[in-house]
Amino acid sequence: MKTLLYSLLICLFLIACGTAKRGEPAYAPVADSEPAIAQGQVVFNTYCTKCHPGGEAGLAPSFNDKPLPGFLMRFQVRHGLGVMPAFKEEVISDDELDHLIAYIKTLKKAKDDKAAPAS
Amino acid sequence: MQLFLRLSLIFLLFVSVAGCYRMRSSNGGAEGTNLTTNRPLNPSDIELPAGYTAEVVASELTFPTDVAFDEAGQVYAIEAGYSYGEEFLEPKLIRVAPGGNKTIVATGELNGPWTGITYHNGNFYVAEGGQKTGGKILKITPEGTISSLVENLPSLGDHHTNGPTIGPDGKLYFGIGTATNSGVVGPDNYNMGWLKRNPDFHDIPCQDITITRQNFTSTHPETKQPMTTGAYQPYGTAVKDGQVIPGAIPCSGAVLRMGADGGTMELVAWGFRNPFGLAFAPNGSLYVTDNGYDERGSRSVWGVGDYLWQVQQGQWYGWPDFAGGLAFNGDRFQTPSKEAPKPILTQHPAKPPHPAATLGVHSSSNGLDFSTSASFGHTGEAFVAQFGDMAPNVGKVMAPVGFKVVRVNVGNGVVTDFAVNKGTKNAPASMLKKGGLERPVAVKFSPDGTALYIVDFGVMHVEDGKTTPQKNTGVIWKVTRTTH
Repeated sequence: MKTLLYSLLICLFLIACGTAKRGEPAYAPVADSEPAIAQGQVVFNTYCTKCHPGGEAGLAPSFNDKPLPGFLMRFQVRHGLGVMPAFKEEVISDDELDHLIAYIKTLKKAKDDKAAPAS
Repeated sequence: MQLFLRLSLIFLLFVSVAGCYRMRSSNGGAEGTNLTTNRPLNPSDIELPAGYTAEVVASELTFPTDVAFDEAGQVYAIEAGYSYGEEFLEPKLIRVAPGGNKTIVATGELNGPWTGITYHNGNFYVAEGGQKTGGKILKITPEGTISSLVENLPSLGDHHTNGPTIGPDGKLYFGIGTATNSGVVGPDNYNMGWLKRNPDFHDIPCQDITITRQNFTSTHPETKQPMTTGAYQPYGTAVKDGQVIPGAIPCSGAVLRMGADGGTMELVAWGFRNPFGLAFAPNGSLYVTDNGYDERGSRSVWGVGDYLWQVQQGQWYGWPDFAGGLAFNGDRFQTPSKEAPKPILTQHPAKPPHPAATLGVHSSSNGLDFSTSASFGHTGEAFVAQFGDMAPNVGKVMAPVGFKVVRVNVGNGVVTDFAVNKGTKNAPASMLKKGGLERPVAVKFSPDGTALYIVDFGVMHVEDGKTTPQKNTGVIWKVTRTTH
């Protein structure tokens, strides 16, 4: 029980202290050169970003700073959660969902320093 | 295995808590704004992509909403003369000299807000919001003489006369916002202020429409009497099933055009809610930013983003029965604990297209302009100023939304932050107690395309339904690319 409590506290601490900002302008651009990632970025911008702007909080909570594994994200997209609607296969196809999850994983890691511009 | 189960439990618990929207209180930027008369300014508090830098061009403006440039590249700004919160002042056209000195060129009437300005063939053209006597398009000479090209535009309500911009055809394009959130006048409009002044004002469709028998009962804020109101009607007027609402030009939620010296107004497109920013892309296509529905009023709509539309001639874009191309035909846009909005029109003029881009819910995505300079970068992309949320008046949010400038690839709808305050969380500068962006309301590139001007409206606080804008806190920022 103690382990559970400590893990929960550490989780909450990390959530409270970390930033959900990713990519430009705070960091280097999100690496979207791979076609699947780029396609996932379009899916993200079509369905997700209005409530989770850039993966940060807005109408809905942020997810960039949350340790959500891919299968949970996939489950949440397909089935919804709370007020979040479900996005069924007719809306986001299985291929698009694969691309979306790949993009979100890339987005969550986009915390590299900005490259110093050539002077 | 036990550890795996425990961690899974934590994840599930976390997801449940994080997703429990209903249990959380609103935490927007408007309610978190700190009112201050002495706004600190520090360009280094603004995060920009590598190679870009920001500076202050002018400060201590009162409710600035747009800038324009003459042939010599001289900067002019307009002060709105009206702000939500029922603050009426004289709108002004101001010349901003290098170094920030301000000279008043023209002063308007107490009928703001002046929402936008453009310079064309030696004159300024200004959209006058029309809170007291109706919207106008004004022509202002460089000497400051004001004349009206058109008056009595139906923008006495929640939203105003917007724009204007000059098209490749030499015509003047402008927008008119809707009177209401979603078609039905109610106490929320009373709280905005205009329903007390204009008790008979309501939305007007651009062409004849037939509506369903949906009437909404609310309590009059003053008399406490029940008021039954249908769509496109004055407050307290009910509708019948199959009632035809006659269309007219000018109308609500539309983009119109006319000659640069006036003349007959023509409908460009309709079915918008608040078409605020109008700009032509380098390829000649017209794009419009549209503020999405709020979670307020008799017909509340939940979870609607702001949209960037590519405007097609004659098209209907969905208001009051669609959002972002999606129909109100289920519980998709239902405000928690309220009834889901049902379609008002018996037959829709068209199936609305998909938006060019979807922007944050309640971000108030307003002014836009296109980059045309390889030197500045992002050529062909739209830059959009996000004024920021007005929560909780417009609905609940879990964190501040907007308060920044984004760029949009209009080819695929990808939105990327361009200028945002530094810090672990996004918020207006006053909330962060820093000197960066407060409420960007417009962006405009210099005539040579090498500098992006950001018009920052200034400090505005919302609490307990009361909106308080702070005078003398408006700023004009300039962003340039210093290294490549």
